[in-house]
Amino acid sequence: MRSRGLAIALASVLLSVVVQTTVFAPDAVRLFGTAPNLVLLVVVVCVRWLDPDPALLLGFTAGLLVDLLGSAPLGLWAMSLTVVAYLTLQVRDRVADGPLVVGVGILGLTFVGQFLFVVLGTLFGLQTITDPQLVKNLVLPSMYNVILAPGVFWVLARLLRPQQRVWST
Amino acid sequence: MLSSGRRFDRTTALFLSLLAASFIFATFDVRAQGGGAGGIMRDGAQQLFAPAQKAAALAVSPVVGFVDGISNIAGLRAENERLQAEVGRLEQQLRETAALERRVAELEAISGLEAPEELAAVTARIFAGGAGTFDQIRYIDKGKADGVLVGNAVIDEHGLVGRVDRVTENNARVRLITDPLVAVGVRVESTNETGVVTGRGSSALRLEMFQATQPVREGDVVVTDGSRFPPGIVVGFVSETADVVVGFALRTSVEPAVPLSEVDFVKVVVGWSPLDAGIEEPGGLVEPPPFVDPAAERR
Repeated sequence: MRSRGLAIALASVLLSVVVQTTVFAPDAVRLFGTAPNLVLLVVVVCVRWLDPDPALLLGFTAGLLVDLLGSAPLGLWAMSLTVVAYLTLQVRDRVADGPLVVGVGILGLTFVGQFLFVVLGTLFGLQTITDPQLVKNLVLPSMYNVILAPGVFWVLARLLRPQQRVWST
Repeated sequence: MLSSGRRFDRTTALFLSLLAASFIFATFDVRAQGGGAGGIMRDGAQQLFAPAQKAAALAVSPVVGFVDGISNIAGLRAENERLQAEVGRLEQQLRETAALERRVAELEAISGLEAPEELAAVTARIFAGGAGTFDQIRYIDKGKADGVLVGNAVIDEHGLVGRVDRVTENNARVRLITDPLVAVGVRVESTNETGVVTGRGSSALRLEMFQATQPVREGDVVVTDGSRFPPGIVVGFVSETADVVVGFALRTSVEPAVPLSEVDFVKVVVGWSPLDAGIEEPGGLVEPPPFVDPAAERR
């Protein structure tokens, strides 16, 4: 069951990378010049259901994939998404699993993950922090992730925990 | 599960190990400047993902077009009126250009110059963007097999898009001019003075001119100076007038000529390299005059 869950999570991450680079590519579906950070969203949702060690490895692997298909030095997204996975692990068992909490959590985690990347990117010479539209590029994807979250949560919860209700109260 | 001290320690240890591994990856990749093992991994990942990305891009293109159409429908009427006015202006310009072409041809014939041949270029389709939120890159479906090389200029009908910075057999990665790591040597057409344009992510480009003697005006055309890209490719238009201040570089912003978020097809200029500009032509080197010792000459 555990290996099945990990396999589904990995497949979801692979699919999200393909969707991120094609459907949400800069010349495709974009609203106000930005797109959701789907890979980060899938990591957060999968980590919600995985054991701690596979969850961290999933965050690291997803980040490494984003690094490999992006222009940043290898390891920056890996570091950011590992931190996001770790933070998700820290909060997931301590708060009630309701729509509002999940929404706020995804908003915060997306923002933190992207902000961490911006800081790391600047430290490693990418000059990401010099973008005058930085705030917009941090805030809007976080909001889009909140909008997409119910759908992603619904699908992954059914795949990873078929017997459990999605929004248990 | 996290409440158990042992489990917490193990998870934290794994977390710290993964952070350390990421940091090491980043450090080595920066030192290797995108080459080395990181470069091989990138090329491998791109080769693996390219078929899925191409298939996904093909499958979603009608949906993306439909969504684009819906979102643009409000602006279509105003756009139509603007385009009609533009057509009228361009027809007038075309007549003037035809007259100018005749004059240029006559002048070339007189001075014995040959008209520059069109640069060899390969047409490519963009099938994916970068996976990260802040990436300023695109993937195109042409690679080494089509003659594409690292450093080739990438253009479309509006002007400069970027340059090729990674190539596999059948695909290539293009770093856009909006990437902060891309610098383009440029010339402002109205003043004929040179400067450097650098990317600023999703915002307008930054133009810096260190030896400017004349101001630049809003709307001035900025073209490549031929140092790294073929000369005369439109890079963008000055978006803020800037005056020269003695002792300071002239700095202003430039709006890219290419609507980078709407590009589907591009051309990779494969028939030009910076060496063609004659900088390092063997015949162009001048031998220094032989040294003559004045004392020996007197004797």
